[in-house]
Amino acid sequence: MNLCAILLLLTFATPGWGKEPEAFPDLNLSNGQAIKEATRVLEDEVKLAARPQTYILIDLATKIIHIKGRGIDLHRIPIISWASNSPDHLKGIHKLTTRPAVVRRKIEPGAGAEQEPISVADMPVDYVLIFPPTLTITVVPSAAEDNLLRGALFLSKAWWRQTKTWAGTVFSNQSSKQNGQLQLTLSGGHSQSLAWSLVDGMAVVIRRASD
Amino acid sequence: MARILLAIFGVTLIILLVMNVQTTTLPTSGTSQEIQRPLAEDKGSLRTLQAKYKALSRQLVQLMPNQPYILVDTARNRLYVKRQDEIVLDAIASTGSGTILDKPGEGNNQWIFDTPRGEFLVQSKITHPTWIKPDWAFVEEGLDVPKNAAERAEPGVLGDYALGFGKGYFIHGTLYTRLLGKNVTHGCIRLNDNDLKGVYKLARVGTPIMIF
Repeated sequence: MNLCAILLLLTFATPGWGKEPEAFPDLNLSNGQAIKEATRVLEDEVKLAARPQTYILIDLATKIIHIKGRGIDLHRIPIISWASNSPDHLKGIHKLTTRPAVVRRKIEPGAGAEQEPISVADMPVDYVLIFPPTLTITVVPSAAEDNLLRGALFLSKAWWRQTKTWAGTVFSNQSSKQNGQLQLTLSGGHSQSLAWSLVDGMAVVIRRASD
Repeated sequence: MARILLAIFGVTLIILLVMNVQTTTLPTSGTSQEIQRPLAEDKGSLRTLQAKYKALSRQLVQLMPNQPYILVDTARNRLYVKRQDEIVLDAIASTGSGTILDKPGEGNNQWIFDTPRGEFLVQSKITHPTWIKPDWAFVEEGLDVPKNAAERAEPGVLGDYALGFGKGYFIHGTLYTRLLGKNVTHGCIRLNDNDLKGVYKLARVGTPIMIF
């Protein structure tokens, strides 16, 4: 009787007891391809989490960018939409060359008054992140939240960027598959937040969507 | 009239953009084609995959700190002490201003006042700290850098406690509590007296500090 009571107590008092930790709670465990992808990402993530550093996991399956350290989710940034020309290039650990540039204010010695700091609002909303040798991530803000003029400006920039890419592909007679591209559309605030959190040389892993 | 012109410009750009997108290889929606290939798998291979996935998930969990850790969000100027997913302490902080200051007589060399990002460890715990003013503190005030080390000591400005996390960076108190929540420091992390006391009590030498 006492043993039954203890077992019942253990069952109800520890709801998570015996539950396996899952790196990707959204993962469909009956989808072999999805598990294979999650496993590939996890193999890379375990290597990154073993070192004292922060890194980025871009989860295209759940449309969330995770800023992580030691496997812990430090911060999440939602992705509105994304597009990629070559999923193969998204595999592996990518190292960012430099974080997006920001205009820093210079302190005038002896000025006395409080000097204006930089903040997230000073970060760019659209920028290109270079991961040599083969991956480029373009972050663009959602046009929906902009007014007409800013929307037109954004569209013209996007059009120019794509035209340049297209022209480069045609004139260099190279397949665009030689360089992977991932375009992430975020809200303006989230674009700035991501730019703020990036550091030079930061590692990025990408989980591709399987359905 | 201006609105009509802008609207025409916008529509034209959209048409051009759509035409251009069709000529590039970027798919327009959040899916990729390559990994949709059907995987020929039997139940055995699926079980093997599941086992590998679970083993890696466990491995990742084992890398997470099993003790309280400090999390600093420099964008929003918040400091948390967390134990796994539980927030033990939530504080408004001040972090690096991101401003720059020229190093006198060193050409293009500059100090950059960022709070460092990444993972660090609490390396020292100090009570009643005295600030040993670095060179930039004098340069910023338009003063000469003193040759005598004793002239650098400034007690009573860092609060009752300080937690060092390397290269001269500390979590410490402040006299300027009205600036908490803003990016105003030279890289250190400032807290009010109560929160500082709480962090000091919860953290040990070796406690991880994650800063992003």
